[in-house]
Amino acid sequence: MTDTTITAPAQFPVIKRRLRFLGLTRDDTIRAFFGGNALVAVIVLALITVFLAREGFGFFAQNRMNLEVYRRAGLEYVDFIRQQTDDHTALTRYLADIRLHWFAVLTEQEKRPVNDANAALAPFDAFAEKFAAAVEPLRALASELGEVATAIKTKFAVAEDRKIEREQLLEAGKEAAAAGVKIEPIDFATELEPLLGTLPAYKQTSREFARGLVTLLDSAPAIPTPELRRRMDNLKRLTRDYVAGFPQIGQKLETWDFTRPVAAGQAFTSFVFGRQWLTASFWQDWYGIIPLFVGSLMVGAVALLLAVPLGVGAAIYVNQVAGVHEQRIIKPGIEFISAIPSVVLGFFGIAVFGEALRQLSQVSWLSWMPGFPYGERLNILTAGCLLALVAVPTIFTLAEDALNNVPRAFKEASFALGASRLQTILRIVVPASLSGIIAAVLLGFGRVVGETMVVLLCAGNRIAIPDFTHGLAVITEPVHTMTGIIAQEMGEVVRGSIHYRALFMVGLVLFALSLAINYAAQKIVRRYRISIG
Amino acid sequence: MNPALHVFAARTSGVRRMERGVFWLFRLATYFVLLCGAVVLLNIFFKGAPTVFKSEAPFINTTFLTQAPESLYIFEWKGRRMELGDREFRAFKEKNPDAAKVEAESYVYSAGGIFPCIVGTLLLVLGAMTIALVLGVCAAIYLNEYAKEGRFIRFIRLAILNLAGVPSIVFGLFGFGLFVIFFGWNVSLLAGWFTLAFMVLPVVVTASEESLKGVPKGFREGSLALGASKWQTIRKNVLPYALPGILTSAILGVARVAGETAPIMFTAAYVVRDKLPWQVERFSDAFFQGVMALPYHIYVVSSKIPQNEHTERVQYGTAFVFLVLVALIATVSIVLRNHLRRRHQW
Repeated sequence: MTDTTITAPAQFPVIKRRLRFLGLTRDDTIRAFFGGNALVAVIVLALITVFLAREGFGFFAQNRMNLEVYRRAGLEYVDFIRQQTDDHTALTRYLADIRLHWFAVLTEQEKRPVNDANAALAPFDAFAEKFAAAVEPLRALASELGEVATAIKTKFAVAEDRKIEREQLLEAGKEAAAAGVKIEPIDFATELEPLLGTLPAYKQTSREFARGLVTLLDSAPAIPTPELRRRMDNLKRLTRDYVAGFPQIGQKLETWDFTRPVAAGQAFTSFVFGRQWLTASFWQDWYGIIPLFVGSLMVGAVALLLAVPLGVGAAIYVNQVAGVHEQRIIKPGIEFISAIPSVVLGFFGIAVFGEALRQLSQVSWLSWMPGFPYGERLNILTAGCLLALVAVPTIFTLAEDALNNVPRAFKEASFALGASRLQTILRIVVPASLSGIIAAVLLGFGRVVGETMVVLLCAGNRIAIPDFTHGLAVITEPVHTMTGIIAQEMGEVVRGSIHYRALFMVGLVLFALSLAINYAAQKIVRRYRISIG
Repeated sequence: MNPALHVFAARTSGVRRMERGVFWLFRLATYFVLLCGAVVLLNIFFKGAPTVFKSEAPFINTTFLTQAPESLYIFEWKGRRMELGDREFRAFKEKNPDAAKVEAESYVYSAGGIFPCIVGTLLLVLGAMTIALVLGVCAAIYLNEYAKEGRFIRFIRLAILNLAGVPSIVFGLFGFGLFVIFFGWNVSLLAGWFTLAFMVLPVVVTASEESLKGVPKGFREGSLALGASKWQTIRKNVLPYALPGILTSAILGVARVAGETAPIMFTAAYVVRDKLPWQVERFSDAFFQGVMALPYHIYVVSSKIPQNEHTERVQYGTAFVFLVLVALIATVSIVLRNHLRRRHQW
């Protein structure tokens, strides 16, 4: 007998009472919490951009002001004349160079004693002295005008400070005190009058200077050797060119107009293409990133030149040639190198390596190396060698990963066709992982350019574009870098000043550079990956 | 040719010789790199050890490890060469009034010890790693356990990847702009902690995620099948097994946090500070004080004072202690990891 009555289904015994929190169940809340943490990376990246830009972008307005004052106060005007005297200094340096060579000829080739050689050079010295002295009236004029211009600039700066003071007082509600702050209005036209009034005097001096130089050239002493004669002729030609440029300078001074506005773009271009980074100067501050950028690039290039063969070579060796036991020693060893703090490497460079390398450069049989021997112990080469040690572990690890990802089948197929191990490695495995290796090199470069302490301690910290005229010898010159300048000057600048903002701009450039390198590395990996399988 | 060799024996041909030559080149490159690293380390160990160790009991130079830095004074006194620290020199002058006029060479930071720097570095590492581990592990849990592949996740991964490439000095600038100025924390431990934590975040996230990936899928499925909620599964059946790997990520992070100088230069480090971190009036002040730190001290003593036999002691000694400290922290983490790994095995 069957009972066909249908009973209602029993209620499910477990009733889940869900705690709700802001409309979310507990699990949802936990999930949201973790998700929020994951977002931190995005937020930090955004914050870095925002804060670097917040502190940095004010630079352009301030730099425009800076350039405007440079023009209004007549510093630009005086700089035309100063440039003229500086060019003359370069010529006298060339003259001194000729004397050095001549002296060498006398003492080394003709084996004359030093006193005798000096006596023989007496007429030349007299000539050089006259040549150097010819500029004096012009230089006196330039320095006189320079004082006028700096006085106007100082006056302007004082007035600006007063304005700020008054605003601060007004903000604090001290109206009476604010009214007491006297601001002297500056009328640039009247202030500049004495400066511009000297134009006829300048023309007179310049004309006499030109005439003096040309007549002096005719009285140049006779030169014995053809080599020296060539140099002397070169000097004469350079001097004539120099003198021929005078009317142009006069024209520039005549047409110069202090009211001409500074273009907004100039504040930007003077930073990006500026060839001078000059701060806390009595004359005019310049914030051009080129010397720092070139410095970073040079150090990075030297480091990569050393690190790429070593890092990639080691990766190939460990991945393709070495046995398991050897791998077990080498891999942690190289990872350990990457754990050496960079400040310790920098200290090692200052205390030991810089001097050792300098001593090595003095060894005579190494003098074929570019730039050897050299005197400065801290330079591009020292920093580059140490940075190579920073870059090698990065390049090694990433390149080894890339080599590891090449499928076994590629190798086996190559062996099956009768290729040797070397052929397989160089023709199959390395090309197959080339995109990864290039990405490794790029990321290594990013690591090197972003490295601070080693370059700060070992690159020599001279803010100037290195002299490329001697070819590869440039690697033995000291430079300053983008990272180094931030680390060195950030602690000393006034908050909110133009210098402070310029440093943030340098940081922004570094940040953009690192993002670009990262982006390029990812692009290369994705684009040129050999389709596997 | 040896006739005893069988037909398939490798013959020394030119190709083979070249192959061997090229392999030797690779081998040389590898060992050259290792050699360079060894030279740096050994140089610092051999020159730094005499500062820290002594030949008589208790074999450790306790003044160097427990005192604050002082200036070193060197002078001739009654035919003897005296080298005294700041306090000793003052006491000496009081005892010998005619010593007041003595001409002494002085070198800053070259006497005394580096105790405040050690304490500062330890505090910085502890705080920064705590923040980084909390943020990093949670982020890794989300990325590996909860998230589904999509545009949002790809965006987060991209951000992490890019964050890893940002130069440390840029982190320093960022920390200065955000924490020191905008939040008004001034040069303080707190600012240093956050700056350093954000810097190591990518390392921690990536390594933690790897270790979470290493936990077999069956563990999660088994737990979920038994009716556990997602969070219970993660807490009881995933995290314990991933912990050794997460600690490895902590090791990687510690080495970076302790070693970086650039981010703390403007956010947390002082060149010199008389008070120790716990000598504060209120408890809350402890977070808003700057500290001395070993890496920054190395920078100061190697760039701001001349290199000679009197200053070498403190320079190499500091570098030595610094390296040993980093190695020590790493070793502790490794031991801890091995211990945990033995407890949770599958």
